[in-house]
Amino acid sequence: MLRLLKKALEVGEATVEYPFKPIEVAQGFRGKPAYDFSRCIGCGACATACPPNAITMDCDLERGIKSWNINYGRCIFCGRCEEVCPTGAIVLSKEFELAVIKKEDMYCRAELKLCRCIFCGEYFETFREIEYVREILEQVGLTKKSSESRVQFLKVCPKCRRHKVARIAALSNWHVDLNGRREENGTRS
Amino acid sequence: MENEIKGQQDRKKYVRALYSKFGASILEEKWQTQDQVTLTVKLNTLPEIVEEAYYGQGGWLSNVIGNDERSINGHFAVYYVLSIEAEKDPNKNLWLTIKALVPADKPEFPSVTPRVPAAVWYEREVRDMFGLEPVGLPDARRLVLPDDWPDNLYPLRKDAMDYRFRPDPVAEEENYQFIGVEGEGIVEVPLGPLHITSDEPGHFRLYVDGEYIVDADYRLFYVHRGMEKLAENRMDYDQVNFLAERICGICGYAHSVAYASAVETANGIEVPPRAQYIRTILLELERLHSHLLNLGLAAHLVGFDAGFMHFFRVREKAMQMAEILTGSRKSYGMNLIGGVRRDILKEQRDQVLRLIAELRSELDDLLDMLVNTPNFISRTQGVGRLDPKVARDFSPVGPNIRGSGYTRDTRADHPYGAYDRVSWNVISKNGCDVLSRLLVRAEELYESFKIIERCLDAMPPGPVLVEGFTYKPGTYALGYVEAPRGEDVHWVMTGNKQKVYRWRSRASTYNNWPSLRYMFRGNTVSDAPLIVASIDPCYSCTERVTVVDVRKKKAKTIQYQELEQYCRERKYSPLKN
Repeated sequence: MLRLLKKALEVGEATVEYPFKPIEVAQGFRGKPAYDFSRCIGCGACATACPPNAITMDCDLERGIKSWNINYGRCIFCGRCEEVCPTGAIVLSKEFELAVIKKEDMYCRAELKLCRCIFCGEYFETFREIEYVREILEQVGLTKKSSESRVQFLKVCPKCRRHKVARIAALSNWHVDLNGRREENGTRS
Repeated sequence: MENEIKGQQDRKKYVRALYSKFGASILEEKWQTQDQVTLTVKLNTLPEIVEEAYYGQGGWLSNVIGNDERSINGHFAVYYVLSIEAEKDPNKNLWLTIKALVPADKPEFPSVTPRVPAAVWYEREVRDMFGLEPVGLPDARRLVLPDDWPDNLYPLRKDAMDYRFRPDPVAEEENYQFIGVEGEGIVEVPLGPLHITSDEPGHFRLYVDGEYIVDADYRLFYVHRGMEKLAENRMDYDQVNFLAERICGICGYAHSVAYASAVETANGIEVPPRAQYIRTILLELERLHSHLLNLGLAAHLVGFDAGFMHFFRVREKAMQMAEILTGSRKSYGMNLIGGVRRDILKEQRDQVLRLIAELRSELDDLLDMLVNTPNFISRTQGVGRLDPKVARDFSPVGPNIRGSGYTRDTRADHPYGAYDRVSWNVISKNGCDVLSRLLVRAEELYESFKIIERCLDAMPPGPVLVEGFTYKPGTYALGYVEAPRGEDVHWVMTGNKQKVYRWRSRASTYNNWPSLRYMFRGNTVSDAPLIVASIDPCYSCTERVTVVDVRKKKAKTIQYQELEQYCRERKYSPLKN
């Protein structure tokens, strides 16, 4: 009994004054995911990786809008979104006080504009993602001239791209010589 | 290497012995790894062969899996997983799985329970989830499905239902039949069923004669979350790691590791050594906070509340270590298939070593105080006896069985992670009572300190995650971890579409419940909460208690606080008036 009292005196106060004083968290603490709209390209990698479906993506093809949504109420703070984001648009912050008065405050939504396909005119991908791919192509050293035509090609939706390639293949008469080089003999449309 | 080859021969010995006894009944032999083998046997010989492996070869029942393989081979299947550890040598121990195909048009299989009692819960669950009838199973009640669930809807059949579907309830009231114990002066005491302080409901029914418990029954699974169905329908392999971690709020990381290693083993993915060490360190960290919590609770239940507060005070250091190493106090979120997501840096290592040193010296004082508290020994010694014979029949796990004289510990019997690369001891006690189980936990804390310190010192450099592998559909393997409460055994069969075909996770407490009934017998009502707490069942108390006097047909509800107070002070029995 005496030892217990001694221990209690030794230890003193074991509790902290939180919430009346702020509390420190460790380096690398995984808190609320902070979203940087200016960096987001709307690729959806985070939504694919998110285990609890806290992050979801929607497409509104009427308005030409792709939206990024997060429900902080579902978030488990695993940080997979941060890990898979190619542009660093999501970083887990140290914030952990997430209680809200209104349920709507649990949600965050961002809208990104979609680009139309230059052939069929359908919306298919965000401008930012196309720009992101263009930058990558430039970085890997494509000359300006050839990348210009490639940039145009980037604005073709996957469906038209498949049609286009199939048509080229059908109309042109491609031969492969014995050295593995491709020769083009037909007319190209 | 030589050891391994020799071990392999030793392991084959068990299989050969089965062949010599049941030769014609064994249809197929398939080795998943050096120490995991699956034998497909004829359905009618299933009970005999499982019995032989269990009692004849020194096996323990670690898992039973039901599986809907109609799209693969036109049948249902049951897998009985036994851990053969008779020789107590990790090079000779074996995971033996006995598989039998169950015809789709006649979904019945002979029950193993009459021969091996440990199978009772598993077979009730297989019946609930797959509609496979264990012929000869003495217990005809549901285990997992609620009373208001429709008949003939078996959730885990692939064609049964969407994972989001919730059928309309078919019953208005609970109609679960508790076992009937009748006799002069026997009173039925229901404990529960809802609002457990640690969020996990369970309904106990104690049959008491005066103050003494003559028998007990319980109903659990009020919070079944359908995780297995969810995983196979909606999640990819990496995502299930995070789901598995949420099986338990205390020992979740153990589940995550068990799941990940099952997938890794099934697909032949080699986890880098450094990641193995990190997983080991985090698993021990989890054991620290879990055991400290249980010791604190035990102090609370014997009326030593100051001790309870102190255990929780020092437990905070374990939580801090987790925060430093993983970025989260609980639910570490560290696993991906192929390794871990964060490395341990030097600064973090130093912080953890310092906290361990502090924790160790604090614990010395606290344990000394706890054991020397006048009524601690008298309240726990000889109470809640888990007879070694009962233990042998029901395959309990963890400190529960190690308190009854056995040295079963998955970390030593089937080493995984870095457990065979650092030295440590398996703790075991012979008292078979609440005290022994508590002392096992107390001493294990010191082993955990040792393991963490040694792993931090011996960690090899290198990558912590491998990538770029492919998943092979249709392969399966076991993943196993010694969680704070005992072994967790997961079984994963891979599917196509980047999803698991079947994920079966068996938590440690699942194996500990069936023998609890025998631990209650002969003890007083006031010891009941203490006995439940001593198996550390992820929750330890019940909110309210109803007393039914069978003779007077009178029911009375007692607040949980009253029973808890009675447990602590043993005065003013609430049963008396």
